[in-house]
Amino acid sequence: MVRTSCGMCYGTCTVDVQVEDGIVVGIEGVPDSPQGYGNICAKGLSAPMMLYDPNRLNYPIVRTNPEKGIGVDPGWKRISWTEAMDLLASRLKECMDRDPRGLYTVGSPTFPAERAFNILCFRKAFGTPNYYTGGGGLHCGNGAHMIGGIYHASWSIIPDFKYTNLAVYWGCSKGHGAGHAANVAAKQAADAKARGMRLIVFDPFLSTQASTAEEWVPIKAGTDAAAALAMVNLLVNEYGLYDDQYLKWKTNGPYLVGPDGLYIRERKTGLPLVWNTATDKQEVFSSKALKDCALTGEFKVDGVKCSPSFQMLKEHLQKYSPEYASEICGVSASTLRRVAKDFGEEARIGSTITIDGKTLPYRPVASIYFRGSQGHYNQAWDCMSLVLLNHIVGSADVPGGALAFGPPVHLGYPGTGRLKYSVEPDKDGLLVARNWPYSHLPYPPPEPKDPPERLDLQDMFYIPTYTTIMAWDNNEELWQKFKIPYRPDVMISFATNQIMSVGNPKTLFNNFLKKFRFIASFNIYSTEFEEAVADLVLPDASFLERYSSATTFPTVGVSCHATGLGEWIWAIRQPVVKPMAERRAMIDVILELAERLGLRDRYLEAAREWVNRAYGGDLDFKKALDPKQKLNFETMLDVIMKDRFGPDKGLDWFKENGYLKWPKRVEEVYWRAFNDVRVPVYLEWIIRAGRKSRAVAEKYGVPDLVDWSAHNALPEWRPCPTHSEKNPEYDLEAFYWRSALHTYSMTMQNPWLNEVSQNDPYTYTIQLNAETAAKKDVKEGDYVWLENPKGSKARGRVHVTGGIRPDHVAIAANAGHWGKGLPIAKGKGVFFNELIEIDKEHTCPVSLGQDICVKVKLYKDGGARGG
Amino acid sequence: MVRWGMVIDLKRCISCHSCTVACKAEHHTPPGVFWAKVVRVESGKYPTVIRQAIPLLCMNCKEPECEKVCPTGATKKRPDGIVTVDPKQCVGCRYCAVACPYGARSFTKEWRDYFTGEKKPSSAYAERARKKWLEESDKGVVSKCTFCVERIEKGRQPACVEACPCEARTFGDLDDPESEVSQLIKKRRGMQLHPEYGTDASVYYLPAR
Repeated sequence: MVRTSCGMCYGTCTVDVQVEDGIVVGIEGVPDSPQGYGNICAKGLSAPMMLYDPNRLNYPIVRTNPEKGIGVDPGWKRISWTEAMDLLASRLKECMDRDPRGLYTVGSPTFPAERAFNILCFRKAFGTPNYYTGGGGLHCGNGAHMIGGIYHASWSIIPDFKYTNLAVYWGCSKGHGAGHAANVAAKQAADAKARGMRLIVFDPFLSTQASTAEEWVPIKAGTDAAAALAMVNLLVNEYGLYDDQYLKWKTNGPYLVGPDGLYIRERKTGLPLVWNTATDKQEVFSSKALKDCALTGEFKVDGVKCSPSFQMLKEHLQKYSPEYASEICGVSASTLRRVAKDFGEEARIGSTITIDGKTLPYRPVASIYFRGSQGHYNQAWDCMSLVLLNHIVGSADVPGGALAFGPPVHLGYPGTGRLKYSVEPDKDGLLVARNWPYSHLPYPPPEPKDPPERLDLQDMFYIPTYTTIMAWDNNEELWQKFKIPYRPDVMISFATNQIMSVGNPKTLFNNFLKKFRFIASFNIYSTEFEEAVADLVLPDASFLERYSSATTFPTVGVSCHATGLGEWIWAIRQPVVKPMAERRAMIDVILELAERLGLRDRYLEAAREWVNRAYGGDLDFKKALDPKQKLNFETMLDVIMKDRFGPDKGLDWFKENGYLKWPKRVEEVYWRAFNDVRVPVYLEWIIRAGRKSRAVAEKYGVPDLVDWSAHNALPEWRPCPTHSEKNPEYDLEAFYWRSALHTYSMTMQNPWLNEVSQNDPYTYTIQLNAETAAKKDVKEGDYVWLENPKGSKARGRVHVTGGIRPDHVAIAANAGHWGKGLPIAKGKGVFFNELIEIDKEHTCPVSLGQDICVKVKLYKDGGARGG
Repeated sequence: MVRWGMVIDLKRCISCHSCTVACKAEHHTPPGVFWAKVVRVESGKYPTVIRQAIPLLCMNCKEPECEKVCPTGATKKRPDGIVTVDPKQCVGCRYCAVACPYGARSFTKEWRDYFTGEKKPSSAYAERARKKWLEESDKGVVSKCTFCVERIEKGRQPACVEACPCEARTFGDLDDPESEVSQLIKKRRGMQLHPEYGTDASVYYLPAR
């Protein structure tokens, strides 16, 4: 038996894998582990079917057909590892000589721990700023994660399942088998429902979470901000249900804002001012003398008229009457009123709770968003509006409220005091995350690069982790205007299927992937991506055949801990069987390449930087490793663990035990009350940061790169392109959702999960409202086409249901494979991403995230009728 | 005497199919055979529609219809209430599958490999699965869930109970009024599926609403 961390999704549950005669015979959970509680999901249980899939890649292959393209036969030829390494090293060397920035690195979000060492550290060592995330990366990320970072120093938020009484979900599934911390959250949510937690779900589709909720509110896709802002408006302007103490001391609500929209600052120190109501004078926000301050009103500082930013928000919100919002979002004004009042009253503003001798605010309500709300043109403001509900009633990182995943504060492993990190305020008093999976922090905004260096221009903006600009139709023109001297040259991909996971595959191929001289992909299958564009494919070891560092850290990353009080866990991933055939763990190849290319020191420096930011600490690999010894991942892991947990807890200890756990403290879980940090109800800094980015765009002659008017301080609802579609033929709004049976597209080749999906009425179908189906003369099981206004189309089988809005169609994500290397997945389900356009019109102007809802017309396929 | 039974809390179930796959991983049932499954039932019209997931398995009835119709005595109810099929006695007539009001029984003509659809196993893992299946069930016979009788005999819980991410399943002695299953049935008004058939099923459901 080998104890390891599951890798079938990023939940990374601790599992015991039984091995008999060198064969995996069973996988089960580990009851004592806080990562899974001994439970295991369908994906985890199916892992052997991925390990022993005869379609797995077992040796390196090269393309012999010089033509690339979707549907083109690559003419794979088997080569030896020696040949493969020579080829890859020489192509990388050539790229380095031309311009190392021409290397594009892409990694799967499903394996953040592996991705860090395989991709993030290697790209830094190589000297390229270019990377993005395959899988869901370009769809999620920008809006949701950065708003999570700004408000909670975390990747995402989740209800405090132990104490929350009312959770309002906006297009997210937390606790229902998919996504972050899937398995642990499922138990926590089940416990919460059994305890009596009420769940209200805003979603166009009667999803699993909606179907098990107290109430399903069928909202139109992409209109969450309108509904949420109406609710905030009601709480602030009509019901007076807001937490003024929280707003005064934990937000920038009292900061005075002048006519230019910026803070009024003290001349001497440059610090933002607030209005001291005791002295009736301005005062620096952090002044010890400040006993009370104004949230509303109008004042004069040095003759300049100004108001607290909360006053600005309050006035701005008046536009969002429930009646106005109702027109937009399709939810009745009375429902918006009822839910807002319920939320405000259940927040029990002013109440406290004592946990472990610490008295804390008790706000048992949580407004929770994720992928659904963020997949829109307005995603930055959508997410901000939804998170604002919590910050208006003070239910952020306090018992019962919306908690940061992570949490982002760890006071140190008790045995050594190491693995320590916290949050801190910047000079304006606003929250800064210190434990973050990327070097690009959500706040404070970095200075824009002038000119931008990255091919996706990410570095001239301040919110995005990545953008899709490198695949826009006008990318070449933009690169020229911004004087970017290099072009796509070599790509290294780790476990991605970009052809299927980014958006319209033809656009991605023609505008971007086609331009590379050489693409090397490390993967376990030959997917549509390898078939279309890879020159060299290297057979990666799957998660049961390789090592990985802490699968549960960084804590705010995607491999999240269970929410709330409980235990911290540091767990490893280790091989339960030796890599079969000629499979090799990518990290071993990367370390060999780093040395071959003379990048050893640079790689170790990048690893030092990443490990210390993600795991807290000051480890220096260059000092810890013997310079005469070849780089070895196991040694690096041993060094990391001994540094964090002491000399007796190196890799050998973890190989034996699998994980180490210790209790979470109240000061960590409910960190907000213990840290003097504020969050913005008025995003003043976006005005400043937006102006700087705009100045760069204007300087290089691209003034209309994005709609700069959205770079503002106050949340608003802006329509998606789907909302302004004029052609009545395109009468259905299509969107996708995440099935609990699958992790992006990786699991569709698994025959057990595939068979269950085939038997399930939702996973491989197009869900269409019964009334709409009748109008269109479509019946259960009919094959139909969905076609977007640009003529891109997707085919699928209809499931007629009452559980969806009549003006919407829903599709489970990432199905519809066609690759020869995935015979089980081939031809199953609907390829929704074909319908997603990759262009400026479908890009959030603030976060640069993708809009993934689409207006379609639906018509019957002339062909066969299926069952 | 113990009477084994299961309680499934529909309030906790999220229809994730972990039970379906846990059963598959435990018993290596071949393609098309599901001893455990989750069906979805929809009622009402938009927007007042209810979608309910119902996990199914063999109800291991106290009055099993399958046992009554079995011509060879292959199907037997054990003293602890578990209904078993002896593959050596089963002749594959499938009367039981027709008689079962819960559709809990499957007939397997041949073992097939999940990847190739062939009788030849595609890996060492598949070969082991094939052997295990032939030992436990065999070809040309009817098979079904036995509450993982082989695990129970070792003092463990059925595979689906141990796996369930939401801990929606509880297993125990229905004849012991103090057992967790008996208490849950009493306190939460547990229901049997189709009590009108008089099967006295050993699986109870706790209402979602």
